[in-house]
Amino acid sequence: MVALESVHAELASLLGGSRVVTDTAACTALAVDGKTPSTIVYPPTAEHVARVLRCAMDHDLAVIPCRNGTKLAIGNPPRRYDIALSLKELNQVWHYEPADLTISLEPGMKFGDLQQFVERHGLWLPLDPRGGAKASIGGIIAANAAGPLRQGFGGPRDMVLGLKIATTDGKIVKTGGRVVKNVAGYDLGKLLIGSYGTLGVIVEASLKLYPKPAERFTFTLRAGTLFAARDLRRSILRSPLDPLRLVLLNGTAAALVGGMEPGSDQKVAELWVEVGGAARVIERCERELGQLARGAGAAPVRMGGAEADTAWGGISNLPGWLQEKYPNVTVLKASLPIAASEEFLGRAQQEADAGGIPAAAFAQVGVGIIHICLLEVKLIERLGILVTRIREAAGDLGGLLVIEQCPTELKGAVEVWGAPGDDFEAMRNMKSAWDPKGILAPGRLVGGI
Amino acid sequence: MKSKGLARELASIVGEDGVLWHQEDLMLYEYDALSSLRQPDVVVFPRTTEHVARIVKLALQRDLRIVARGAGTGLSGGSVATEGGILLGFSRMKEILEIDLENQRARVQPGVVNLDLTLAVADDGYYFAPDPSSQKACTIGGNVAENSGGPHTLAYGVTTNHVLGLEVVLPDGKVMHTGAAHWDRPGYDLTGVFVGSEGTLGIVTAVTVRLSRKPEAVKTLLAIYDRVADATRTVASITARGITPAALEMMDGFTLRAVEEATHAGYPKDCAAVLLIEVEGLQEAVEEHADEIESVCRENQAREVRRARSAEERDLLWKGRKNAFGALGRISPSYYVQDGVIPRTRLPEMLEFIGSIESKYDLHIGNIFHAGDGNLHPLIMYDSRDADQSGRVLKAAREIIGRCVEMGGSITGEHGVGLEKVDFMPLIFTDDDLDLMRRIKNLFNPHGRLNPGKLLPTGKMCGELRVERATGGIV
Repeated sequence: MVALESVHAELASLLGGSRVVTDTAACTALAVDGKTPSTIVYPPTAEHVARVLRCAMDHDLAVIPCRNGTKLAIGNPPRRYDIALSLKELNQVWHYEPADLTISLEPGMKFGDLQQFVERHGLWLPLDPRGGAKASIGGIIAANAAGPLRQGFGGPRDMVLGLKIATTDGKIVKTGGRVVKNVAGYDLGKLLIGSYGTLGVIVEASLKLYPKPAERFTFTLRAGTLFAARDLRRSILRSPLDPLRLVLLNGTAAALVGGMEPGSDQKVAELWVEVGGAARVIERCERELGQLARGAGAAPVRMGGAEADTAWGGISNLPGWLQEKYPNVTVLKASLPIAASEEFLGRAQQEADAGGIPAAAFAQVGVGIIHICLLEVKLIERLGILVTRIREAAGDLGGLLVIEQCPTELKGAVEVWGAPGDDFEAMRNMKSAWDPKGILAPGRLVGGI
Repeated sequence: MKSKGLARELASIVGEDGVLWHQEDLMLYEYDALSSLRQPDVVVFPRTTEHVARIVKLALQRDLRIVARGAGTGLSGGSVATEGGILLGFSRMKEILEIDLENQRARVQPGVVNLDLTLAVADDGYYFAPDPSSQKACTIGGNVAENSGGPHTLAYGVTTNHVLGLEVVLPDGKVMHTGAAHWDRPGYDLTGVFVGSEGTLGIVTAVTVRLSRKPEAVKTLLAIYDRVADATRTVASITARGITPAALEMMDGFTLRAVEEATHAGYPKDCAAVLLIEVEGLQEAVEEHADEIESVCRENQAREVRRARSAEERDLLWKGRKNAFGALGRISPSYYVQDGVIPRTRLPEMLEFIGSIESKYDLHIGNIFHAGDGNLHPLIMYDSRDADQSGRVLKAAREIIGRCVEMGGSITGEHGVGLEKVDFMPLIFTDDDLDLMRRIKNLFNPHGRLNPGKLLPTGKMCGELRVERATGGIV
């Protein structure tokens, strides 16, 4: 205990007393899988982040970086957890040149604030991550959090130009740069994207921005069967229409997004297609989607403006939104070859039905990412069996399954990330090169890295 | 003789006809598109991943260097065996292993020529997006090593944005698979680090790539200017209008005249600069964007804006652009091409600066830029037999790169660091940054046996020897 107090004193001398919080309630709010940190620190600058990491390494204390906690549920339970490193105060924009379509900013800035900041120049960062406006830039990058907009624009991996990273030896290193094209040196930034805070702490990110389409409209098509949905998806991807988002909702998800209760009469899957561009482009898309949909037997419904934005927000943040209603919701994310999307959805649905568990599912059918939210779970054993069966279905179809969120008890029984591959040794060595003492989010990533 | 014994051992792996070790054969492998440097001890052509693994293990036993080489079109000296050893040529690993159109992907061996992959899927309406100017010759393996770009990367990204997974032989002979045939495999993105690692971490033996859908419509515009500054100003004005062209290239008058002499592509010889602009997408969008771009060009004093009226006209314009380096080779005994990047809004100042460097060092510089993403290719003309001139070229090059860095840019946009820009690395990276890169390199390639002397300045940990810089080249 004395040791911990002296660490607090050291942190307070580094950051100022008000930036080191040990209050139990505050610490409990940042617990991860039942493990509560003893301290929260709020470093005000990148250099302070580096100093905190150095201090933690000297005293062998485990650190988990965070901001709003929208993605903290993802991952294995931490092996240990002493300090929550909040990036709340790092929210400066360091460089912004609209005509270059680039911005350099700190990781604590909220995604919604960034969008507002660049919108006045007709620009956006075309992502729709889990957590929506509340998600932080650092968290989005650390979790490689992409939503349905990945169809049109790719994910954080395609938008990060450079990073500054605080490392456990107390340094700040740079990778990449501020310009849109750059192959100087190893592209180490890629390692941080999707590393969930296990290698270093992102303290600045340079990102590519995009001109926002003049208009965007969403068309919803009732798909009837999954076969019909698959045919529609094929026709759309083979057409020149080039949608910005393309998502298939199962009946339950469609009902929830439409404001109904799950289990209400909606049983039919819906395909949501968003297109963007000038008025003539939208007209053409509407016309051709209409023709495709008539083949499937239903007319598309058009939606635009705030109504569509709200609905899409509901879809990309469905897991977060469901969690408020169903605290025990289990969220599964499958990554598959594109063409396997509908078949997987069908098999997962069958398994859930057989287990008597209502499931809301949305599939990014042009990308091969499918989220299954299992709403109510009574027995952990049954949940474990169900998740394993759904994972097998993903494996059979050439993909894999990650448990993004579940009751902590399940994490002891089923591998959250699935089995690692023959590159695991290289990943473990990578972890040791960045974090030799294993103080950053220890144990949280694949294979317990 | 060292080479002969080694050649025999290698022949037992790949067969007699898969090894070159005679002096006259090795001469063909002593250079790439940068310069002539040093011969390998032996060149070997594996056919399979297993061959590569066995060759690597042999090199390990005998403590030999290994350099992987695609078509040797690289511009930074990346595929030259600067310390001798085994040169691993991929010209026999050129099979397209799988094409899976519904999943929009293909799996290829590293020796597949970039354009051949596109041609294999073109009839079905797909293509491989990265399109380096050397795409008729360069290989996918080389593209992966260099993270190659091309004119159309402005809209579609560079190689790394189109690679899903890799099969890699590590320096200890183990085979490793990174990424997957789908998105979001959990764990560290090793694929992302191997792409662009210039053959210094492992040897790629198979690549899973994304295929892209060909757009419905393409319009190609040629905007002609009497003043260079008007052309460079147009670039930022186009992005400021919210239009992202598929390609936005600039060539100055000096370059144009050489290109026109060589390819007769229809470029005007009497102007100061042209922009070659391409927009792609839905018919309706393309028409609107082309009209808007034309009016932006005119607002910026374009003398004339032409549109390609047919696929043939378009191909001819691109042929001129893609053969531009060769065209300049016709009028100058040697040239040195740079690859700096700047924020695109700084193009007008940069062009002025390059002009001042031209007069300061009494040199001719042709300017060919991927203007849309601020990637500069100034070509400095010289005669390598003239030592004084060569010296001035190096000074001029150094000043131009220095200016790119001051503007917040980079030393290389797509050609790679290789041997050529190793000494420029400290201009943009601190010792701490470089130390971390060395630590990562040492994880995979601890004895520096793979492609020694490339990408990283010689450091305390790699145990690499400083390269003897040999014949007449500019490095």
